Amino acid sequence: MSSKDETVKVWDPFVRVFHWSLITLFGIAWWSGEDHDMERHRQAGYAIFALVVFRLFWGFAGSRTARFAQFLKGPGEILAYLKTHDGETPSDGHNPLGGWSVAGLLAVILFVTLAGLFAVDVDGIESGPLADWVSFDTGRMASEWHETVFKAALAVIGLHVLAIGYYQVLNAQDLIGPMITGKRDRVKGEAAEDVKWSPVMALAGIAGVGALTWAVMQGFRFLG
Amino acid sequence: MLAAVLAGSAVAAAASPADTIAARQANFKKMGAAMKALKDELGGGADKAKLLAAARTLASTARLQGGLFPAGTGPSSGVKTDALPAIWAQKPAFDAAAAKLVTEADKLAGIAGSGNTAAVLAQFKAVGGTCAACHKQFRAED
Repeated sequence: MSSKDETVKVWDPFVRVFHWSLITLFGIAWWSGEDHDMERHRQAGYAIFALVVFRLFWGFAGSRTARFAQFLKGPGEILAYLKTHDGETPSDGHNPLGGWSVAGLLAVILFVTLAGLFAVDVDGIESGPLADWVSFDTGRMASEWHETVFKAALAVIGLHVLAIGYYQVLNAQDLIGPMITGKRDRVKGEAAEDVKWSPVMALAGIAGVGALTWAVMQGFRFLG
Repeated sequence: MLAAVLAGSAVAAAASPADTIAARQANFKKMGAAMKALKDELGGGADKAKLLAAARTLASTARLQGGLFPAGTGPSSGVKTDALPAIWAQKPAFDAAAAKLVTEADKLAGIAGSGNTAAVLAQFKAVGGTCAACHKQFRAED
């Protein structure tokens, strides 16, 4: 609301629920994969697929700080940020570096998930829901990518966590709290407004993503 | 059938470790593809002819494999292989596992064309169980 408020809402509930559910589900997918519990692994994968696709949609239809157009900046702005930032002045949402980190995280996790949909295990027994549409060899290749890019995802996640730690510990800028509550302290004189989002867009996104995820879980078999 | 066994042994006896390893890997891929074909059919159209063809490929290829693990074709050969040294350290157990695969695959080939999808699915799972059990004990994790 007004700039007189002590706090400002920077993350809408969808961004926050997306973030923490993704961490949980990524952990479940990792664990069940290592444990060869493929049924659970698939379930976690479907949920991750739904989350990431919704987040992509929300990157165009969500609140101000959720939008790609707001946080994906060109090299000029990234350089300017690197030169001027003191580590303590909060950005409005993702900072110019963090924005690309988010894009990278989304890209690797989406790639891992998509590869998993087509993956076939070495015995040809366990497979992703879309493996029917590809050959055994292609499915095996998808499985290799699924694993290789998963490792890349771990690296990008590690970088993300280190960056958070850098702000959190070395610069005393709390980034974790706002991702839980949605709010952060308002800097004196800062005019940033609370983020707003459209319930209609949210419902449309949930319905669309739900339908697409259902179709993926059926392996699009109703088409053939 | 006998010819196939002999062919398998002949390859093992005459070929270099690299050739033997390549031959058995090609066979495993063929069996994996057959398993996938079975699974795709069981989850979809359940076409009897396709199920039978895949099950026969599986059964005929399975019986070649036992003979394709002569001594000297493990990781110590220097050729890239996921075959664990346990295969040769516990040869009787490995041979029994290979024989079990042949038995279960034969059973599957026997009923694959029957049209009894539930029975085929159950036997498909039995075959899959032999793959998994043997891989767990004798194959390096990806």
